[in-house]
Amino acid sequence: MQSADLVSAAVFPRLLVWLRTLASLRLTLIIIVVFALSIGIYYFSDRRYEWILAMPLTLLAINLSAAIVTHPTFRYRTPLLLFHLALLMLLLLVVAGRLSYLRAEVEVTSGSQFAGSFDRSESGPLHQPGYQQLHFLLHDFTIHYAPGIQREETEAQIEWRDDSGRRMSTTIGDHHPLRLNGYRFYTTPNKGFAALFLWQPTATASAQRGTVHFPAYPAHEFRQAQRWVTPDLRLELWGQLDFDEILLDPEHPSQFRLPQQQRLTIRTNDKRYSLQPGESISLPQGTLRYEGLRKWMGFKVFYDWTLPWLLACGVVAVLSLGWHYWRIFSADPWLREGKE
Amino acid sequence: MLALLVTSLLLHGGAILLRWQRLDHGPYLTMFEILSSNVWSLLFIYSLAYWRYRPIRPTAAIILPVMFIMMGWLMLSSPEEGHLPPTYDTTWLVIHILFGKVFLGAVLIAVGMAVVILLRHYHIGVQRLQRLPDNTRLDDLAYRFMALGIIFDTLMLIAGAIWAQDAWGRYWAWDKLETWSFITWLTLAFALHLRVTYRPNPLRGAVLIVMVFILAFLTFFGVPFVTMVPHQGAI
Repeated sequence: MQSADLVSAAVFPRLLVWLRTLASLRLTLIIIVVFALSIGIYYFSDRRYEWILAMPLTLLAINLSAAIVTHPTFRYRTPLLLFHLALLMLLLLVVAGRLSYLRAEVEVTSGSQFAGSFDRSESGPLHQPGYQQLHFLLHDFTIHYAPGIQREETEAQIEWRDDSGRRMSTTIGDHHPLRLNGYRFYTTPNKGFAALFLWQPTATASAQRGTVHFPAYPAHEFRQAQRWVTPDLRLELWGQLDFDEILLDPEHPSQFRLPQQQRLTIRTNDKRYSLQPGESISLPQGTLRYEGLRKWMGFKVFYDWTLPWLLACGVVAVLSLGWHYWRIFSADPWLREGKE
Repeated sequence: MLALLVTSLLLHGGAILLRWQRLDHGPYLTMFEILSSNVWSLLFIYSLAYWRYRPIRPTAAIILPVMFIMMGWLMLSSPEEGHLPPTYDTTWLVIHILFGKVFLGAVLIAVGMAVVILLRHYHIGVQRLQRLPDNTRLDDLAYRFMALGIIFDTLMLIAGAIWAQDAWGRYWAWDKLETWSFITWLTLAFALHLRVTYRPNPLRGAVLIVMVFILAFLTFFGVPFVTMVPHQGAI
């Protein structure tokens, strides 16, 4: 006997025993119970540690793989094999998705651009940031309300340039995100007012334009104030937006819009100023011009390249399971001719 | 009996359609609508089984009281109109709900047979239950309906994930309803897998079926009763 054969004769039976142990159907049952318990722990714990779910899922993937390799049933039951392969693929895709996903939030002022950065984000360790190159212009948006201030449809007009530089435009909203290079931008009910300023520092010639977002409206209807610092970090300001109009009428259908009459109160160094759009205040550090009021919308951003594959695997799994049951049940009908 | 079932389905179905037409949305918003549509769909699915599987017709004595309890709850619920959130305005929600109804209907039929097995075990109404097939045959048919149940439960989860992705920008977030529906799916998978692995006797199979039904029932009607916030979005 060759030395290689000796090794395989000694190693493979042991490997097969291990694989059969790992492929045990009883182990599957234990893993299902552990998985259900893990979900309970994950659900009720304050800090949701993903390893709580990852552990039983890893065990399940090992159990499934070993079963597919060792169980003879799969050799003559194609639908069952397909179902288990699809389940295994689902597990692997979930892992791949968690390693490469991105979730983010960003507030964009109407009439201005999203320029490739987020306010808040979280991503998997293998996520390759491709969003810095993404740009789009939020022209405007509308959110309708039914009486009782109940939110209805949202529409946002978006413009961007495709890879060839062609100008594209679309309207996004509920159930219709903007899709750019695999990133999905969803409109949200999170929105409010943004004050547009021009800051001209005393020391330099160049002026800078920027916006200050007030807290979300109507969630913080009576707290429309914000604190910020000028772009050169020299001056801290506090501002409050005041208007008397009822924008969202509880009695009638309405839509989120800018107030027709509004005033901005600015406070700095214990001095208060009241500004209308177009007015300026001169301070020792520079001149602040209030250019007007705009709206801002919060977008939710989602990236997960596994989505279509997850769907495909889910569909294959359910179809093959249906095929499997159809085969075994139709071969032995419960209602037999002449018996019932 | 079948004629009565069909008549009740026609009358109840007419009432649901009239409300649907008046409110311009399906019966899936308030607890009143959820209960009403489920009473109808469960009874419809059970009527199909009642018509197709003559030997199990006496299980109506178990299924119909469950329906009466649900109808009682329905009568006590407020029929007030709800506001359709934009996240609900999608075909995927309808598909998700339809799959869910078939799932619960299939498990309900299985429960009818499981309860017969349990009653026989505890010697309750044995004489009356003699007309039904033996426990092994009932267990076999119940298993088939559980198999149908897992297929539609899986389809419900897939359709729900598609809806959630479009509505909230995530396909799964372990919210209350998602968590409990997945635990129900796992329990169903456990029950079916246990059958393949250990071939339990009809009594143990019946206990598992009842467990799955209780979990599914709590997920369908218990969790929305506590909260529907995650599934309705915010202002």
